[in-house]
Amino acid sequence: MAKGTAMNLALLEVRRHIGRFVGTSVGVALLFTVVLAMAGIYGGLVDDATVLVRALHSDLWVVQKSTRGPFADISRVDPTLEKRVAGVAGVRIARAFTFQVLERPYSGRSLRFALVGLSWTEDRGRNLPLVAGRALGQSHGEIIADVSLGLPIGSVTHLATEDFTVVGLTRQVLASSGDPVIFATTADAQLITDDLPTDAVRTERERRAARVLLTDVGRSQPAFEDLAKDPRWKPPALAAAPVNAILVNVAEPGQLSDVRTALSRWPDVAVYSSGEQERFLLDGVVEKPRKQLALFSIILVVTSSVLISALIYMMTLSKSHDIAVLKLIGAPVTRIAGMVLQQSWLIGAVGYAIALAVGSQAFPHFPRRVVLTPWAIGGVGTLVFLVSTLASILGVVHALRIDPGRALEA
Amino acid sequence: MEALRAEGISKSYGEGDTLVRALGNVSLRLEAGSVVALLGPSGSGKSTLVKALGLVTLPDTGQIWMQGQLVVEDGSAVTSLRELRRRHLGFVFQKANLIPFMTALQNVAIAAEIGGEPDPSNRASELLRYLDVSHRERSLPATLSGGEQQRVAIARALANRPSIVLADEPTAALDKTRGRAVMELFRRVAHEQQSAVLVVTHDHRTLDLFDVQYELEDGQLKS
Repeated sequence: MAKGTAMNLALLEVRRHIGRFVGTSVGVALLFTVVLAMAGIYGGLVDDATVLVRALHSDLWVVQKSTRGPFADISRVDPTLEKRVAGVAGVRIARAFTFQVLERPYSGRSLRFALVGLSWTEDRGRNLPLVAGRALGQSHGEIIADVSLGLPIGSVTHLATEDFTVVGLTRQVLASSGDPVIFATTADAQLITDDLPTDAVRTERERRAARVLLTDVGRSQPAFEDLAKDPRWKPPALAAAPVNAILVNVAEPGQLSDVRTALSRWPDVAVYSSGEQERFLLDGVVEKPRKQLALFSIILVVTSSVLISALIYMMTLSKSHDIAVLKLIGAPVTRIAGMVLQQSWLIGAVGYAIALAVGSQAFPHFPRRVVLTPWAIGGVGTLVFLVSTLASILGVVHALRIDPGRALEA
Repeated sequence: MEALRAEGISKSYGEGDTLVRALGNVSLRLEAGSVVALLGPSGSGKSTLVKALGLVTLPDTGQIWMQGQLVVEDGSAVTSLRELRRRHLGFVFQKANLIPFMTALQNVAIAAEIGGEPDPSNRASELLRYLDVSHRERSLPATLSGGEQQRVAIARALANRPSIVLADEPTAALDKTRGRAVMELFRRVAHEQQSAVLVVTHDHRTLDLFDVQYELEDGQLKS
């Protein structure tokens, strides 16, 4: 004890009862770990929901009229829209975009992924956050996959009727559902998406022939029936497969507003910024889990408060006689209240430190990504401080009510 | 020199049929440097008087002066009781009542610190040396003998350089030899520190060590 330095009663007691203190803190830490996990899971939800939008580096999203697609809503636009948009003054690049969540068998396991189609040759995935490999180098047969899928560079995946080679890897590029993303050209993406089992293809051909026979031309020209059953025949009246959106990058940032205004005048499309797309995703996809996590966190915080409050009260109760002695010899109430409050803060601080340490080891093994931003860590830390302060009230009130005369009782 | 004077102190508990008159018109004086014994059977009001003189419980009527300053008048405190206890009073209890999570040195130093000593640690060491327990200054109370604990408690009572030390049956938990040693210590403290020491005791074998003796019976003082 240095000259002029006041003795810290809270620390002195903690040092003498270190086992009890650590045990208490560990109990509180487990609760704080769950609160941290809730905050981290929420952070992960938000990040996962919006990471794809950010990874695509688009200024504007042109989608089907009256929809908020392509993620929060279903959007289908004609692929020719890409050329129309590219012709608008101020547009640097217009890219067709397709998006579909698929599940396919792979090496004896089920591979679930979001398939994103990139517009060849305008978009080869060079802007994607690649951690290994390269962007797409040819229009067919190459894919970029997220590392969480476990497909190494050079591995060949059989999807639909074709083989696809993994040429690039991203990390933590996920769809809002949390599924890892595979990038391919739009043509390959459509090939994989539209892949039907052989029986389904054969059934469709038979149905097509039956539909032909329902028409006068079909009945009068038997050759049409043969044509309808021919697997190589593509009916000329069918439109090309639609895409989900057209991504637009403007030539100059100053032209963004003009381009948006011009595109918004078109009667068949709706135009959104990337920020709006992110908000749609957060409002639509994350809103309910966010509320659920928030409510769960509130229950945990209240539980933590009650637990710390009970612990501090019991600790104060057990030293009532010592507090009476301190009061009798003239200790000010601030000193007594400070001791109780500091012990509550200590339990909170040590508990939170343990929770952070446990969380940093445990959270990477969670099935969904847990993202703890500095804001989340700071926010939960502030919450712990407030909870510890509130929890000490019961103990402080008891300490202040202790009659110093109790010290004189045997 | 007068350290403490009480005039017409009375204190009652309860009301109506359950009214108990614990103290009735008690007056006494404690001189600096004197050791005063307060005797009396159980229930005679000794503890009530110690609580009143120690400014723990206010009397219903009467005045108390400390160092010539009026501090209680007609049952009301003239100034902060806590502040008066901090400045003027030292307490020794039946049991040592040392704070269990603090060492002997820390138990004394906290009282010195609260009492406003500029170097509490040094003051505590000095007192433990004075009371021959400096060799146990780093020990926790649970590891001290009864006599050692009571000597540390006396050191704590002296830490704020009090003008009055109130001791409520301080030898009750000690054997005859250690009890007498503690009483001798009080005498030494009173004479050397010039504090007035009031000791509540049942032990008539140590009465030769006291300068003045008061006896309390049914709340009335007989000298």
